[in-house]
Amino acid sequence: MPTPSWDDFADLALKRLASSGAEYGDIRIQRATTQTIRGEDRRIASIRNQDDIGFGVRVLYHGAWGFAASSILSLEEVPRVTDLAVEIAKGSASIVVEKVTLAREPVHRDRIVTPVRIDPFSVPLEQKTDLLLATMESLHGQASVVRSSAGLWARRDRKLLASTEGTHLEFDLLASSGDCTATALHDGRFASRSFNTPHLRRGYELIEEADFLRQAPLVARQAVEKVRSPAVEAGRYDLVLDPEHLSLTMHESCGHPSELDRALGYEANYAGTSFLTTDKRGTYRYGSPQVNLVADNTEPDTLAATGYDDDGVACQKWDIVREGIFLGYCTNREVASKIGEARSRGSNRADGWGSVPIVRIANIGLEPGSATLDQLLAGVKRGIYIEGHGSYSIDQRRYNFQFGGDAFWLIENGKRTHMLCDVIYHGITPEFWNSCDGVADRSHRQRYGFITCGKGQPGQSGWMSHPASHARFRNVQVLRGEGRS
Amino acid sequence: MTATSAKPWPKMTSREEFQFIAELVLKCSTADHTLVTLQDQDGGTTRFANNQVVQNVNTRRGSVAVTVAFGARQGTATTTDFTAGSLRETVKRAEAIARVSPEDPEFLPPVGPQEYGACPAARGETIKAGPAVRLEYANEAIGQCRMENLSGAGIVSSSRAAVGVAAGTGLLAFEERTEARFSITVQSGDATGWASSAHRSIDRLKVQERTLSAIHKAIQGADPQELPPGRYRVILEPAAVAGLWSWIIWMLEAKAYLKGTSPFAGKLKRRILDKRISLENAPGHPDLLGVGFTSEGLPSPASRWIHHGALQQLLYDRFTAKAQQISVIPTIEAPCLSIDGTQAGSLAQLIKSTDRAILVTNFWYLRTVNPTDLTLTGMTRDGTFLVENGEIVSAVKNFRFHESPLRAFQQVEAWTVPMEAVTSETGKMLVPAVVLPEFHFSSVTRF
Repeated sequence: MPTPSWDDFADLALKRLASSGAEYGDIRIQRATTQTIRGEDRRIASIRNQDDIGFGVRVLYHGAWGFAASSILSLEEVPRVTDLAVEIAKGSASIVVEKVTLAREPVHRDRIVTPVRIDPFSVPLEQKTDLLLATMESLHGQASVVRSSAGLWARRDRKLLASTEGTHLEFDLLASSGDCTATALHDGRFASRSFNTPHLRRGYELIEEADFLRQAPLVARQAVEKVRSPAVEAGRYDLVLDPEHLSLTMHESCGHPSELDRALGYEANYAGTSFLTTDKRGTYRYGSPQVNLVADNTEPDTLAATGYDDDGVACQKWDIVREGIFLGYCTNREVASKIGEARSRGSNRADGWGSVPIVRIANIGLEPGSATLDQLLAGVKRGIYIEGHGSYSIDQRRYNFQFGGDAFWLIENGKRTHMLCDVIYHGITPEFWNSCDGVADRSHRQRYGFITCGKGQPGQSGWMSHPASHARFRNVQVLRGEGRS
Repeated sequence: MTATSAKPWPKMTSREEFQFIAELVLKCSTADHTLVTLQDQDGGTTRFANNQVVQNVNTRRGSVAVTVAFGARQGTATTTDFTAGSLRETVKRAEAIARVSPEDPEFLPPVGPQEYGACPAARGETIKAGPAVRLEYANEAIGQCRMENLSGAGIVSSSRAAVGVAAGTGLLAFEERTEARFSITVQSGDATGWASSAHRSIDRLKVQERTLSAIHKAIQGADPQELPPGRYRVILEPAAVAGLWSWIIWMLEAKAYLKGTSPFAGKLKRRILDKRISLENAPGHPDLLGVGFTSEGLPSPASRWIHHGALQQLLYDRFTAKAQQISVIPTIEAPCLSIDGTQAGSLAQLIKSTDRAILVTNFWYLRTVNPTDLTLTGMTRDGTFLVENGEIVSAVKNFRFHESPLRAFQQVEAWTVPMEAVTSETGKMLVPAVVLPEFHFSSVTRF
């Protein structure tokens, strides 16, 4: 008997679903292959090759959901799990109050493949470990650097999504990233400085272009300068934020509040709700007129640009904030209709075969302005320039936030001067974004993002990019980390 | 609870089946050293919001990891496919990695056979529980919220797992584990109340009691007043204490300690906190989520981490432990924090004996601000109140804090016995509710 294909398994599940009385059902079969290489203190600490295969069946029965999944992909397990998903959905339906109605979506039959120049899984392992060892050696070129780390990561996802509506989508997706960090010690204090590539749907060319061996000496020098630098004096400063840093600020203070499931209370018990309640759509001043935040799941290379989401909805581009006014949410087929939208925005994603898809932040980016970075800095009398990610925290409705960074420079009279340490800035989201008075032009744009965005119960990791150019914010409250007090 | 339990299906990997898998892997490995770990888990979550089920899931996931080494060159490959062909292919992948890996100067071969103490990690009622039981508990919580005309969001989850570790050294460890969790956030207008629980037994989740607690907090949370940021005396409920203490535990890594990049650098065997505070690992405690062994097959013994305020232990990897001549590596998956001396009988009694303080139900989104002194930030969440003259007089708008637990716990004014603490950001701990004389709230949010 020939080995069944994924289509055979999908047909088996869909036929069973069709006779179950369910109004909708789908099956996702997925194989994720991940290679993770971690270096630590001049050694390769681990090399891990993970192969994760399984399937999940989702059922909407009488307006209520059920989902079951298994890592055993067999002719016996597929019917068992499909029946279990139906049974669970019937249980949900037994106490349903407001029935789920799915927004309409055309049937899609397609195959999506990430175009890459160099398949990261084809690159010899020795080449990668040599790069990481040389990078760490370079980081230790500074005597004060006491710890180092470096890593490479690549993941390939092969996936089939088939639904009772006739949608049939095949995916072969790839993503890569790399990073290195130096930690310097001085006078009983320590500080770290990192270099990270963005996580992008690109191949090993991303790592080659990043040129770790050129970056490492600078990272080490700045780690040493940072640990020896004066602590910031608390007060109000103008801030100029780099694109990598902004990716996190945007993610937390714009991305999450624009998830419609949060605004509707679905995440109240864990990730929280949103201050961007549905009554604010179309009128609420979220930011200054310079602030244009656009969701774009169609931009090549970005993490959420997968062609279709896990509802089988085609990826789209839409406004979240236009000239400072809040306009749109990230939605899926379930919640779109609750705000009167005829079609989902296509932001429903699961982090693997074993998870049910939930509303996820799209690739939300800050549209470029017209300034150069030098022009943004020139307009600052007393401020701080911040690069990279550091400490971050925000309340569960996404108002009160606090961010650190990876590196800080004092700006005086329009010029970057020396590094600072212990910089923390604090704000209330709409006040902060209304203080934005300048965004750099497209030539400064970078596309950082995340693969560890936590949401849902059970917890899932979401993937999305947040492209941005540098931006300037006026009169922001800066605190001093209390390391020396 | 009278729900008819779902049949315990699918059948999980048994000890004998794990031995068979391990032997197959060990036989086909050509490496000098081979370690096999298995995790086979079946579990689900019923999630509700706005008083109705919004997600109802069940996932069976089996995973085998094979780590091999040629000399000090090692590699790891994993698979979710337990068939013989896949296991052989996984060994080959691990070997292919190891053959080209650089030598790891910190490599140590797998440990040999170990003795494990009895650990009550699995409960029959949780093994039998399935979607129907979870749904019934969820419906119970939803019903209580509806009766109060309030909106509830939460989860009921349960899982069972077979966990095994084996090596060519003769190491063999196998254990069944179960876990169940409940948490609920109740919304009353703009106010929220929260409660949670976790246990090896699904029948020990105290769903009704926890739901009533969350309802009570939500109702009490109406009309919050805004207090200015500043330094306040605080009453921290167990979940808030656990949030802070999780960071103390996470930062105990020995390697960072030895490199000087730890907030505890130079403080081993010295007093770091109030001298009445002790922290222990209690894997055999029936209300904690202790395990019999670690992912490397080492036993998880009872151990003392902080005694009379003095730091006693660090979190060692095997290489650092060997270099430091640590013979038994301590673990801390079942933490119990206690404070010597006269204890308040309950949280209510603690409130009653306090003149003025901010009562904190829980903290949220805790992160380090300064790792050198372990300054943390985070928000209060789901029930923050002003206590005056022994009574809760009003709700207050949520604060952001900026504080190091290493400073805050230098002096504890009053405390209860250790109680259950489970948050979305921590595992389960037993910790007391405490009164601390000073805690730094750095800003206020809008609700």
